[in-house]
Amino acid sequence: MNGHRRFERSLRWYPMDWRDRYGDELVALLEDTYGDQPLPRRCRLSLVRAGAGEWLNGSGAERDRDGRRQQVRSGSLLVLCAWSVFVVAGAGFAKFAEHWDAVTPSADRRLPAAALGAVQGAALAGAVVVLVGAAASLPAFVRSMRQGGWSPIRRPVLRAVTVTSVTVVLTVGLVAWAHHLGPQQRQGAQWAYAGAGAFWALAVVASIATCAAAAVAATRYLHLPLRVLRLEGALAVMATVAMVAILAGTLVWWGALAASAPWFFGSGVVGSSASPVPPALILSGSLMALALVAAVLGAGRVARSLTRMSAD
Amino acid sequence: MPRRASRPDKALGRTNEPAVLILTSLASGPKHGYALAKDIEEFAGVTLGPGTLYGAITRLEERGLIEATAGDSRRRPYRITADGRAALAVVVRDMRAIADEGAARLRLRVLARDIITGHLPAPSFGRAR
Repeated sequence: MNGHRRFERSLRWYPMDWRDRYGDELVALLEDTYGDQPLPRRCRLSLVRAGAGEWLNGSGAERDRDGRRQQVRSGSLLVLCAWSVFVVAGAGFAKFAEHWDAVTPSADRRLPAAALGAVQGAALAGAVVVLVGAAASLPAFVRSMRQGGWSPIRRPVLRAVTVTSVTVVLTVGLVAWAHHLGPQQRQGAQWAYAGAGAFWALAVVASIATCAAAAVAATRYLHLPLRVLRLEGALAVMATVAMVAILAGTLVWWGALAASAPWFFGSGVVGSSASPVPPALILSGSLMALALVAAVLGAGRVARSLTRMSAD
Repeated sequence: MPRRASRPDKALGRTNEPAVLILTSLASGPKHGYALAKDIEEFAGVTLGPGTLYGAITRLEERGLIEATAGDSRRRPYRITADGRAALAVVVRDMRAIADEGAARLRLRVLARDIITGHLPAPSFGRAR
């Protein structure tokens, strides 16, 4: 790694807009001061501390226009990360909710079915919103790549591509394997298949996490035009609304089923007793709630900054 | 548009704060980051870390106390503005008043440069002020 790149990397703690304004100068200062020598620990600490200070300064009451753009960007990224967690939790919920209607009296299916339909509709809408957000930032991403922006995001992107490729291969293999098994074996009677399924689930989680990390890393280096930034902010708010709808639908489904078919949460035998708060559902619900809190914080930051940008 | 404090000098901080050191350095002419760091090291004996230096430059520019001049974008020189001079003058006067009082009580002869650098001479009770 040459000196310039090495010093540039040491500024990764600073906000994007700060680096745009002062980054080259600070890199020149580091080159003049340290040349080919490694940065002393004291200097690195100084940069970490000062970089964190600039983030805090950007979130203070005196934030300026560039700061507000940064707020929209960071708020949107927070919503994106929350959405990733939500996808994992939602997948867990979807798996748990499979075949609920098989043990629910037909007269009691209407409300949980409507709630589940709302969950699925909101999940689809949220996925579309995230895809539109990715598509909107694609031109800026291409521009960044043409201007040598690949180097700082190479690691997270390659990591995401590798993990996702492994996950795709695992998925194909698992589906092919499943075709050779009977229904009981697929439901856990065969331990090897169950183990592979658990490993696949971990791979999916890792894939979602690395893709989100790559998206965050890439977005940090993008120069998004104002109209794209506004669109990304609006999409982040919409994704948050979708998450609210998903969590609300999940809770309604949960409550309705606990009232009409509580045995679904236990053995599944109609008429048997069971706790309406199974650990798997508690875990999924808690993850969704935590992700939603983060998303609301991000969307709030976006909404405030967009409002102030409109007033400028 | 740079942000302006109602009393710019209020934001500068104490004598050996980076902001005061930078304004003092720029009072003798425009300098870029490396030249500033070296000058401050020379006249004050203080080594400012790169993060600290550019953090202070950011704040000073936001408050309109210094401004970047045209030049090499990687080694951009900064100069002190009229507001910056006024703010530094107020701080130096305040420091001078305190230093004079302290010197009088200690019977020292203190120069303005000593106040800024913090290098006060050892007490010499033979030299009354």
